[in-house]
Amino acid sequence: MRERLFIVTMLLPAMVLLVLFYGYPIFDNLRISFTDLSLLGMKKGGNWVGLANYRELFHRGDFGHILFNTFVWLTATSVLLRLLMGLGIAVLLNTRAMKKLRLASVARFALLIPWATPPIVAVVIWRFLLERNGVVNETLMRLNIISQPIAFLADMRAVWPSIVAIMLWNTVPLIALSLLSSLQTVPEEYYEAAELDGATNWQVFRFVTLPFLMPAILVLGLMSVFWSFNNFVYVWLATGAGPGTFTNVLATEVYLKGFVDFRLGYSSAIGMMMAIIMGAFGILYLRLVARQQLEETL
Amino acid sequence: MLKLLAAALITSAAMIGTIRFADADPVTITFRFNDTEQEVRGAIDAFEKQNPNIKVDLQRIGWKDARNQFLREAAVGQGPDVAHVAQVWVTEMGDAGATLALDDLIRKDPPPNGFADFAAQDLAKGKDGHIYGLPWTTDTWAMVYRTDLLKEAGIESLPTTWEDIRKDSEAVYKKTGKTGFGFPAGSSASGAMWFLANFYWWSHGKELIVQKPDGSYAIGLTLEDVTESMNYYKKFMDEGDNPRPNLAASDAHDPAIMQALITGNQAMGAMPPNTFKEALKAYEDANPGKPAPFASGPFPHQNNTKSSMIGGRMLVINANSKHPDAAWKFVKFMASQSVFADYYRTQFPAQTSLLKQIDFGAPLKGFADQFPYARTWGAYASGPVPIGTLWNVTQRAFGKALSGQQSTENAAKELLAEIGKQMP
Repeated sequence: MRERLFIVTMLLPAMVLLVLFYGYPIFDNLRISFTDLSLLGMKKGGNWVGLANYRELFHRGDFGHILFNTFVWLTATSVLLRLLMGLGIAVLLNTRAMKKLRLASVARFALLIPWATPPIVAVVIWRFLLERNGVVNETLMRLNIISQPIAFLADMRAVWPSIVAIMLWNTVPLIALSLLSSLQTVPEEYYEAAELDGATNWQVFRFVTLPFLMPAILVLGLMSVFWSFNNFVYVWLATGAGPGTFTNVLATEVYLKGFVDFRLGYSSAIGMMMAIIMGAFGILYLRLVARQQLEETL
Repeated sequence: MLKLLAAALITSAAMIGTIRFADADPVTITFRFNDTEQEVRGAIDAFEKQNPNIKVDLQRIGWKDARNQFLREAAVGQGPDVAHVAQVWVTEMGDAGATLALDDLIRKDPPPNGFADFAAQDLAKGKDGHIYGLPWTTDTWAMVYRTDLLKEAGIESLPTTWEDIRKDSEAVYKKTGKTGFGFPAGSSASGAMWFLANFYWWSHGKELIVQKPDGSYAIGLTLEDVTESMNYYKKFMDEGDNPRPNLAASDAHDPAIMQALITGNQAMGAMPPNTFKEALKAYEDANPGKPAPFASGPFPHQNNTKSSMIGGRMLVINANSKHPDAAWKFVKFMASQSVFADYYRTQFPAQTSLLKQIDFGAPLKGFADQFPYARTWGAYASGPVPIGTLWNVTQRAFGKALSGQQSTENAAKELLAEIGKQMP
C-alpha cells in the first residue's frame, strides 16, 4: 500500500502536467463547441447553444462530400499508396543487386531530400511543376501523351490524384527509410534457410520478410492515418479546397468556418468530431488489428 | 523659511529633470505591415529621424493571416500598436473592441485636410459611429490590355461593354491562339472572382447586400442575376479564351497571369494599380527602351452605376496600445504627402487632395477614369454577415460553377441560400 502511494505520489506531478497540457485544450475546445463563439466576439465570449453546432454539422448538404474526401482521398488512398510505395522502395533498396552496385546508399541519400523538404515548400514546388507551362505538362505534350495542358490542380478529374501525388512525394521516403531499417534487422540465415528449402521470391517475401516488417508497418500505418486525416497543409496550399469545394476536407472546413466565417464554436464542433473519429479509429485499430498481428508476430 | 524654499527648489529641479528625462526617453511602438518591407522602410526611417523619441519596430505578416492574428492578439490584450488592415475589416474590428476609436485623436491633432479628405470614410466607422481607422491607400481595380495583341486580333478600340469584352476576348483567342481575358477563376476564400462578380453586378445596378430605408439589410440579387453573372464568366472558360488552369489561380498577381501578360500571351486582365505597375516594370526590365504596349480602361458601367471598388488599406491603432499618441503621430505621418511622394510609391493615397496631384501617366489612365465609377463596400461591410463569409461563399459558388462541379443555376441557388441563412 505504501509502495503504491509512493508510486502515485511520484507520478502525480507528471500526470497533472499531462492533464493540463492535453486535457485543458481538449475540454476547452469541447466547451467552445457548445457555444456560438465568434472570432470577433472573443472578448465577450460565446453564448451556450447546446448541440446546435453538431446538429447543423450533420444536417449540412455537403457534409457527406467532405467526409468522403477526408476518408477516401486524403486518408485511405494516400495511406495505402504510401505504405505500398514505401514498402516497394525499401525492398528494392535492400536487394542484393542494389547493394552490389552500391546504389543503396545513393538512393537512401536521394530519399532524404523529399523527406527533408517542408510540406509548404513541397506544395509550392509541385504547383510550379503542375502549372500550365510546367515541366509535367511540357513533358507529357512532348511525348504526345496529351495535346492540351492539363489543369492538374483545377480539373476535377486530376485534382485529387495531383494532391495525393504531392503528399506521396513528400512522405513516402519516411516510410521507405523506416521499413528499410526494419528490413536490415532480418537475420540473413532466414533467407538462406528459405533458399535451401526452395522457396520462391514471393514465398520468401510473404513468410520471411513480411512478418518481420509487420510491427513497423502497423505503427507507420496508424501514424500515417492520423497525419493524413488531420492534414490541412497539402489541400489548403495546393487548391484552397477548390475548385469550388471539390477538395474540401474536414481540416480545411475547420479553418474556413473558424477563420473565414469567424464561427469558432462551429469550427470547434468539427474539430471535436475529428478527434472522436480518430480516437475511435485508434482504439479499434489497436484492439482489432495491431494487437492480434503483434501477438502473432512476437 | 529657507528650508522650505530649498525644498521647493529641489522638488522643482527634480520635476524638471523628470520631465526632461521623460521627453528624452524613447517610446517604442510596433507597426505590423502586410506587404514588403522595402515599401515602407524608407518612410519609417524618415519618421524616426523626425521623431527621435519614438522608435518604430516593424513586424511583417502575410495578408492571409493578418486579420485573424490581430483579432486573436487584441482579444487577450496583445498585438502591435499600429496595424495595416484592409478597409473592409475596420468596422468589424472596431465593433469587436480590437481597435482604438480615433475620434479624439483626430479632433486634437487632425490630418492636414481633415478627415473629410479621405476616401472610404464609411468603412472607417464602427456601428457605434466612432472612427476606428484612417484610410491609407486606395487600390481601385480596372481592366488592363496588351494593345499589340488587340491590334493583331483586329480590335481598334478598348471594349466598353461586357459584351465587347466577351467578343474581343474570343477574337483574340481565335485569331492569335493566345489568351483573351485571362482572369483568376480560382475559388480560394480570398480570391479575385469576388471582385469580378461584384463589378458585374454593380455595373448592372445590382448589389449582393443592400441596406433598406428602415436600416435593415437584405440580399439585393435574384437567382437570375447570380446565374447570369456566372454564365457570363463561365463562357470564357468553356470557350477556352481563359485557359482552364486559371481555375487554380485566385489572385490578380498570380504568376501565370502576370507572366502571360508580360510575355504577350494574354491580351486582357483585371487588377489593382500596384499590380499593373509591377507588370509594367517587369515588361520594361525585360524590354529596355521599348514602349510598353499596355493600356488600361474602366470596367463597363452605365452613367449612373459603379463598376469597381474604392478598395484599399487603412491604419488602425490597437485598443491595447500603451502609446496611442505616439501611434497616432506615426499613423498621420504615414498618410502624409511626403510618404507617398518619396517612399511608398507602389500605392495611391486615400486622400482626395493627394490623389488629384498624381499624374497617372498614359498606361494608368484607365484607373483614373475608373475612379469616379468606383464605390466603397458600404452595406457589405456594415451588414450582418461578415464580409469574409460573403467573399468565401461567393468564391466557392463561382468556383463550383466555373469548374463544372455544379450547374450555374445550382451554384447560384446555393450562394443565395448560404447567405440567406446568415441574414437575420
